[in-house]
Amino acid sequence: MTNISQVQGETLQIAHVTKRYGSGSTEVTAVRDVSLTVSPGEVVLIMGPSGSGKTTLLSMLGALLKPTEGAIQLNGTIISALAENRLPEIRLKQFGFIFQDFNLLSALTALENVAIVAELAGNKSGAARRKAASLLTELGLGERLNSLPEKLSGGEKQRVAIARALVNDPALILADEPTANLDSKIGHEIMRLLRNIAKEQGRSVVIVSHDQRIKDIADRVLWLEDGEFKETVTMAVDPVCGMSVEREKAISAEWKGQTFYFCARGCRDDFVNDPKKFHLLISQES
Amino acid sequence: MSLARRNLFQDKTRLGLSIFGVALAVMLILVLKGFLTGMNRQITSYIDHSPGSIILAQEDVVNLLGATSLLPEGIAQRAETIRGVDEAIPILSQFVILDLHDKKQPAYMIGYEPKQGGGPWELTAGREPNSKREIVFDRIFADRHDLNLGDQVEVMGKDFTIVGLSNGTTSWMTSYFFVRKDAAEDLLLASDATSFLLLTTSDGANLDDILRRLNDLSGVNALTKREMAANDLKLFAKVFSAPLKLMVGIAFLIGTMIVGLIIYTATVERQREYGVIKAIGAKNRFLYQIVLTQALFASIAGSMLGVLLANGAAQWIMTTRPQFLIVFDPVDSGQALLAGLGMALIASIFPTRVMARLAPAEVFRK
Amino acid sequence: MIRLAFRNLFQNKIRLVISVGGVALALLLILSLDAIFTGVERRVTAYIEHSGADIWVSQADVRNMHMASSSLPDSVARKVKYVPGVASVTPILYLTNNVVAGDERNLAYIIGLPENAEFGGPWSISSGQSLPAQGETILNRNIAVNSGIALGDEVEILGDEFKVTGFSEGTASLVNSVAFISMDDFEEMRGSYDTVSFLLVKVSDGESPEVVAARIKTQVRDVTAQTRTDFATQERQVIKDMSTDLITIMNLIGFLIGLAVMALTVYTSTLSRRREYGMLKALGARNTDLYLTVLAQAILSVVLGFLFGLVITLLLTVVIPIFGSNLLLVVSRVSLLKVGSVSLVIAAVSAMLPIRQIAGLDPVMVFRGR
Repeated sequence: MTNISQVQGETLQIAHVTKRYGSGSTEVTAVRDVSLTVSPGEVVLIMGPSGSGKTTLLSMLGALLKPTEGAIQLNGTIISALAENRLPEIRLKQFGFIFQDFNLLSALTALENVAIVAELAGNKSGAARRKAASLLTELGLGERLNSLPEKLSGGEKQRVAIARALVNDPALILADEPTANLDSKIGHEIMRLLRNIAKEQGRSVVIVSHDQRIKDIADRVLWLEDGEFKETVTMAVDPVCGMSVEREKAISAEWKGQTFYFCARGCRDDFVNDPKKFHLLISQES
Repeated sequence: MSLARRNLFQDKTRLGLSIFGVALAVMLILVLKGFLTGMNRQITSYIDHSPGSIILAQEDVVNLLGATSLLPEGIAQRAETIRGVDEAIPILSQFVILDLHDKKQPAYMIGYEPKQGGGPWELTAGREPNSKREIVFDRIFADRHDLNLGDQVEVMGKDFTIVGLSNGTTSWMTSYFFVRKDAAEDLLLASDATSFLLLTTSDGANLDDILRRLNDLSGVNALTKREMAANDLKLFAKVFSAPLKLMVGIAFLIGTMIVGLIIYTATVERQREYGVIKAIGAKNRFLYQIVLTQALFASIAGSMLGVLLANGAAQWIMTTRPQFLIVFDPVDSGQALLAGLGMALIASIFPTRVMARLAPAEVFRK
Repeated sequence: MIRLAFRNLFQNKIRLVISVGGVALALLLILSLDAIFTGVERRVTAYIEHSGADIWVSQADVRNMHMASSSLPDSVARKVKYVPGVASVTPILYLTNNVVAGDERNLAYIIGLPENAEFGGPWSISSGQSLPAQGETILNRNIAVNSGIALGDEVEILGDEFKVTGFSEGTASLVNSVAFISMDDFEEMRGSYDTVSFLLVKVSDGESPEVVAARIKTQVRDVTAQTRTDFATQERQVIKDMSTDLITIMNLIGFLIGLAVMALTVYTSTLSRRREYGMLKALGARNTDLYLTVLAQAILSVVLGFLFGLVITLLLTVVIPIFGSNLLLVVSRVSLLKVGSVSLVIAAVSAMLPIRQIAGLDPVMVFRGR
């Protein structure tokens, strides 16, 4: 893509974004000519080694950092060109952030942690608290509304963070290592949650993580190294056994004009023999 | 104690603010003490500089600046007959309130005989009064009220002309001023009255002997100048000691709290670090030393700055409000530094206990 | 954001105690000194206010009682009586001297009262007689008790012995008290038979004291006539004028100390929450939202400090007299207003540092320390 175009339905578009730090001999290029489009309801996973520029990229996506070159567009607004004083509103209403360290305000209860973000966006205290309460209850924290973060488990804290990220109905969720500080069972739950947010609520979800398991819920996996996307992997679900497979490496088959991907020959053969039997699974796709 | 130093200096603003806070507390203590010392000097200045070594007052009067004193008639002659007494210098004195351009100013009037003495001991301008309508004012007092040589002042309804300006005759509460004795008699409607006799004695005279004989005379009380000065000081001490002690106590508490805050914050924020040190095997004593070092540094630096600030504050106060006299005693400065040390020790107690209770396992907590 | 300020403040109890405590102490410095001087003003005017007189007549141009002396010839009393509107005239004699009991010397205002004086005598008697007959005296109860004097004991005043026949209340200050003796005794000891110090005048029903006072001034030569309120104001003015500079200096010091403590605690508090504030910025909080939080925290601390300082001062007001001291503390409205304003200024100024800290916070920091 060489132009920013108002593609219908696209949430996030970044075009040839570069970030350089320093100057002259100390100049460092953290992100180099990166382009990406994320659609509503899509889960994109960005992986890469430490120092690959993931943090920088995420910061720019979240309007915390301005790119040196290129443009970042969200729902039609070129946020990379906005003045600093317009950004807080964008951050409040268009993004939801989820952090590795949860980053809850230690002096506020779970309910207050979520409500405060709603209040910042202009909701009155009562309405903010109601919204927060319903979100938290949906996420299974109905009993923990008035608990302080120190009394919550890791998984509970991350769910509070997710509720906080959702309370202002953002178009884009940005998650930085959301499962890093959680044990595997809880990590799984959080991953499922993030996927549901994308699929059921139609939001775009961009996750930066080392965790391989997140591949299972991602639609696309991007590998960032030395500031550039080296590999793009698109995930698909095998309609026969339900496993996540990488399209680029998987065995495929066509049916009624659609391409399907399989984990192994066995599944592909099963499908080809009786496609209609697995069509329910097909409709679950995307 | 480089660990202590490093931790402390890591945040310069915080350190700066704390040292400043302690400095203010120490400054307050010093200024209060200096104020008291200066005030005491002002209170006794007349007695200190007046002629003679014995003062004769009315019976039961032991202060210059307290009760009204009126001596029985003819007492001056009788006093002078006592062996060893050279001269009996009479003064007629009384507190009056002067209305100086809408400000009420208490002043102590001394009516004296210029030929005999008992008047101002140091004139910075002009001369002593020659007539009943002339007055000598303290120069700082005059300056505060925009008065100068030649100006008119009203005292108890009568006008006087300022012919001299004296030095060392004022305090923040009141001021001495001098008129001829007959002028004072007119004002007080008390002709030939005398409040006090200032007695000069011949060299080698036995003071105790003289005092005894004077006290035998009826209707009088004889005391040495030193005794009377001490009595005046005691009288004023009664008024000021309680409030002063209160203020000093408050200042000390504040200083302690400030040092306490910085040490506590520095300790709490580094619990992990100190837990690591413990896990490595350092004894509690090592950590106590860290806390104490930080506390001492903050309070000593603060105390020294406080001494500087006190001097500066005293200069500023005495320049803008010259009726205040602030005198620093080296003893007081030493006490202030001790106070600073005391603040450090007390402030270390709580953080030290926190350190002691630190479980080395703290290190592995997320 | 206010809620956040509230919660942040109370989360760290130690810091809260120090900031509130420090401010309370600093404000206590100001409040207590004010209260001491107001108390002195109150005490100084106690006798005048309770004398019962509408008008005080004194020597010409003498407008004060303490630290002043007044002398009027007897004839003036007669002249004043004839001024229309004057219902009664009570003369008193007055000077400062010592009441001696054994080795104890107490400075006192000695008031010589005429027989059956209607006005000018003690207004509150705790025991014994209410007026002194010849050879008798009425002393302040606290002074008497502290000096071990009981009713019926003898004390020495102006060189003569007097029997204590009554105890009065409200007649003592830190420095001295009021002792009442009969005018005859006073005159005899002072040898001043034809003079009085003050004339206490009661006006007839329906007459205005101001008008009658003015009349006295015009009709009687060489006197000053002031209404009771004017006279009391003049007395208070002496204390006010004397104490202004001292109070100003102490106020300044108290302000600086309060400011230093607040600045330090708000600064450390904001510092320790840098990550949280940075995170809030990343989530979309504006600088002004965070300024509000910090300011609210400062104001809250200061308000609490003010309340504490006030409570302690009021406690001192009650506690000090219990210990038998004659130091009176009175918290005036003016003082409260002044200290209240000072507190708010402290809050506003101390919030400036953290505001700068917050403005400089880069939300990207939320990712650092990974």
